Amino acid sequence: MSRTVVIEPVTRIEGHARITLQLGDAGEVEDAKFHLTQFRGFEKFCEGRPYREMPALTARTCGICPVSHVLASNKACDHLLSVSIPPTGEKLRRIINLAQITQSHALSFFHLSSPDLLLGWDSDPVSRNIFGVMRQDPALAKDGIRLRQIGQTIIETLGGKKIHPTWVVPGGVSEPLTQEKRDAMLALLPEGLDIAKRTYAFFKTLVPKFKDEASHFGNQPTMFLSLVSPKGHLEHYDGLLRLKDAQGRILEDMVPPHEYERLIGEAVEDFSYMKFPYYKPQGYPKGIYRVGPLARLNNVDACGTPYADVALAEFHMLQESGPIASSFHYHYARLVEIIYALEMMERLLKDPTILDARVRARARSNRYEGIGVAEAPRGLLMHHYRIDDEGLITWVNLIIATGHNNLAMNQSIRQVADAYVDGNNLQEGMLNRVEAVIRCFDPCLSCASHAFGEMPIAIELKDATGRVVDTLRRG
Amino acid sequence: MDHARMEGRKVLIIGYGSPIRGDDAIGPLVADRLQAEGMPEGVEVISRHILTAELVADLVEHDRVVFLDAAVDGAPGEVRCRSLAPDASAMSTMAHFLDPRELLAWCETLYDKVPETFLVTACGSSFDYSNYVLTPTAEAAIEPMLDWVRRLIDPNECASRLSQPTDGAAMHGETGSPTMIL
Repeated sequence: MSRTVVIEPVTRIEGHARITLQLGDAGEVEDAKFHLTQFRGFEKFCEGRPYREMPALTARTCGICPVSHVLASNKACDHLLSVSIPPTGEKLRRIINLAQITQSHALSFFHLSSPDLLLGWDSDPVSRNIFGVMRQDPALAKDGIRLRQIGQTIIETLGGKKIHPTWVVPGGVSEPLTQEKRDAMLALLPEGLDIAKRTYAFFKTLVPKFKDEASHFGNQPTMFLSLVSPKGHLEHYDGLLRLKDAQGRILEDMVPPHEYERLIGEAVEDFSYMKFPYYKPQGYPKGIYRVGPLARLNNVDACGTPYADVALAEFHMLQESGPIASSFHYHYARLVEIIYALEMMERLLKDPTILDARVRARARSNRYEGIGVAEAPRGLLMHHYRIDDEGLITWVNLIIATGHNNLAMNQSIRQVADAYVDGNNLQEGMLNRVEAVIRCFDPCLSCASHAFGEMPIAIELKDATGRVVDTLRRG
Repeated sequence: MDHARMEGRKVLIIGYGSPIRGDDAIGPLVADRLQAEGMPEGVEVISRHILTAELVADLVEHDRVVFLDAAVDGAPGEVRCRSLAPDASAMSTMAHFLDPRELLAWCETLYDKVPETFLVTACGSSFDYSNYVLTPTAEAAIEPMLDWVRRLIDPNECASRLSQPTDGAAMHGETGSPTMIL
């Protein structure tokens, strides 16, 4: 008998998360789960495609940060080619990645999180949005727009104005940089750095007001995983893997990204389409770790640029000792990274070799397996491909930054629920704090979802028998 | 807007939509066609997968803005043009997509300046996976959309005339904004 498989809804589902809180007999929270309900299937439908299509295909994973996927995918292709790309090609790739980080972090801070930070978690939800921020602090809102525009302009100057630029290619980049374009980008950076520095200075004045949230927003002992440079400095494009434990001890260091499978295992759960990566030597789920800005700053010995290094020192003062544990401080780390990105872009653009015409290595595939790892705004992004003799993809594995943080996000929701949820009476402020702790991670759900103000979300309150006793919905 | 007033003014055309979701690609495709045929001085054309916050800074730098998009609320192939006004209630819950009326509300709230804005849409019939490939119905809507854009960037066309029904066009007033259907 024939069957018809219907998958619906297919579209308009990105960003639709569900949170389930399981209560005990006395109304206490017994369990909390963060569900990703959308399914993409990139790993499967990329099979059979020529490997050179992978950067373009995987860029479609995300409409808001395709640059990250383009870079990780092209790095996997570089590996398949067995080439070392020309130094100038690498520097140009670094610049477009830093521009992406600048505009992505700006979106997270200025537009997604600032309504909570400026107006308060318990403020009227009707005005707790970007328009509320515009009324409260129009200069800050304008700064956010301008910073995003600067990042986007640099991306378009390098990659072109097409929706999915094809400037980054296997082996390097397709076109060298012209002096005119370099000068145009350099002219943008001082204003960007001014904005970043004054926003950072402003945020530092806010941090003491959020002691309670910092104590309960994913303030948990986990490990931290990121790339670092061979010198142990902040690294977003290349480098080596470092893993620290919650006490700051380095458990893994200078691990070539191609060996990631030795460190990372992936578990699945029946309540989410998002995978649950974990540190393999400690098993699942004990091997919980975090990635992204917080992990990167916790792991590095220095940023390597002047203002960012000052900010890094201040970041470490958020806590008496050890890696900064609270996920609330992802916001802080993002602002430090914006400063770093702008400083580093200026340094790279002023490099005397940046106009070199040799920007691409050309080769055919020379191995059957390629792994590309880069730091996306939200953390480690891993593309792993296998190909056959014809260069056709036979197997794909993608580990997205938000996936690395899956265990930590689930644990963070539980912590917020324990601290703020009155099991017998759900309040809007509680709902917003649950949203806010997710927002600290700036999740891109299957690289598809960001939430503005109030994201579409459903919270179900169940009793010990699993019966739904209360529900709050938005969107 | 008379000829003298239109000349020297800056126009921004934004085609937006997903290139891989069937007829949703019509906005970027029309933008590509406009780029290929060349635009007069002062007219800039860009394509976007989605509308994002930084566009606000571009909008306020222009006198007239034309958004090009796909629509689902009409007969497949139907082309409409309507003027847009700021509307903060059109606020999206997602960072992935901002309604053009919300972007105009950002312009108004933050910069106290709103460009004269039009939205030209074509109703699609299929939004399944495809890469910059439209259904024949949507394909046939490209030329009428181009006609609208040409009129909107023509210094000889004035806004008052554009807001009135002309040959082959009919008012469509459900939003309260001047709307024309080809």
